[in-house]
Amino acid sequence: MTLNVRERADTIGTLRHISVFAMETLARWVPTTPELEAKIVLGRHIWEFAQHADGLGRRTHELRAAMHYSPAPTDPYVAILEEWRALTATADRIGTLYDAIIPDLDARYAAYLAATDVFLDEPSVRIVERNRADLPRMIEESRALRKERPELAASPAAAAMARRLAACTEYVSFRAPVGSTAERLA
Amino acid sequence: MIATAAPTSTKVVRGVTLHGEPAREAIFNVVSTDAEMAEWPGMSDESRRERLHRHMNNECVAMEIASQAVADFPDAPWDLRMSIARQAADESRHVEILYRRLLELGGRKGEFPVSNYEWSVTGMIDNLPGRLAIENRTFEAGLIDILGQLKTTWREAGDDRTADALEAILADEITHVRFANRWIKLLTERDPRVLLRVAQAIRYLRAVNAALAPEVGSVNAVGVTLTEEKVQPPAVNVSGRLEAGFTEEEVLEVLRQAGFRSIIPEQLRTT
Repeated sequence: MTLNVRERADTIGTLRHISVFAMETLARWVPTTPELEAKIVLGRHIWEFAQHADGLGRRTHELRAAMHYSPAPTDPYVAILEEWRALTATADRIGTLYDAIIPDLDARYAAYLAATDVFLDEPSVRIVERNRADLPRMIEESRALRKERPELAASPAAAAMARRLAACTEYVSFRAPVGSTAERLA
Repeated sequence: MIATAAPTSTKVVRGVTLHGEPAREAIFNVVSTDAEMAEWPGMSDESRRERLHRHMNNECVAMEIASQAVADFPDAPWDLRMSIARQAADESRHVEILYRRLLELGGRKGEFPVSNYEWSVTGMIDNLPGRLAIENRTFEAGLIDILGQLKTTWREAGDDRTADALEAILADEITHVRFANRWIKLLTERDPRVLLRVAQAIRYLRAVNAALAPEVGSVNAVGVTLTEEKVQPPAVNVSGRLEAGFTEEEVLEVLRQAGFRSIIPEQLRTT
């Protein structure tokens, strides 16, 4: 069974929430990261996440939710995001972003494409495909950075975060179906 | 309701409270006043590298200011946040362009002292319209004037590569000033109290400038005496400022402050 319109809005909105969270996290990190080459890459990718969030946010309105509807993910996923944002070592910031967060986001985009109806939900599919196309380039830029600054290549936090994200399969807090008791009481 | 964000750290320079420094590698010697900088007149090899190094750090500061604004004001209108996020990416590209050119000319990061003045001032402003007024409408608009002049200086010195880079950067800076001008106007129309915040920010900037302005006759870190010409504002880039959304009256006011020194607009040059 594929996602219905309401579930699509919830999922696209949650993916937007994650993109905005990433945009804001990178924005916080730019002034607090000492290495010039790392600042340059992070600064550039703020805009990538902003564009992803923009496309997703416009789509939520077309899916009968608010413009730029961005519901928070499930609590376990939010906890991982908060821990990620709190990292201070540059190698961990770079490692977790490019070896854990972005590959995980790509996997969630892929899961969305598998779960939705590519014909009924074609506009979402196109937006998700466009966002996904940026991710390998972002990772490639991080590789160039780590080649230039090898001390940023080793992140003890990255592999652990990738494992935790992979284990967190349920990340969308779906609204109750229309007409349900939960919705009437909300 | 105008959202506010307090500075995370502060420092005091000549009696003025400023925002604490952004993170820099230990290789950089971060200073707070013009007298501590290593600026040379002319276009010697050393002076060229220092100019690029200083500009590179200033672009890095602009990236940090834009990034901080994205982080500090999550409730700002989304389209404005998008413009600021784009600015952060543009400034990132500018840092890289200048860093590469510095390396090509045999320079290295940390070769000269740097000052994070714009960060130190803008970070003390707790609201977004005030920061846009200071960073985009004042500092970046000033950069439009400076770049209008500098691209010619580099070209006349036979360095077309750097001149071309500065020309590309100038086009981006005009866009940054333009969106700030547009948004300040829009936000003021929505809430007239915004104008008060903008005026407070400008008043703070004037106080900082008055306290930290370089003194004619003082000697900088490499023994160069600061002259009257050096402390004068740059010639006004009239066409650049008009493109960036300043009104003719506003440009005229800047011209008055600059002693009517201007870069003649291209359309006037051809007539």
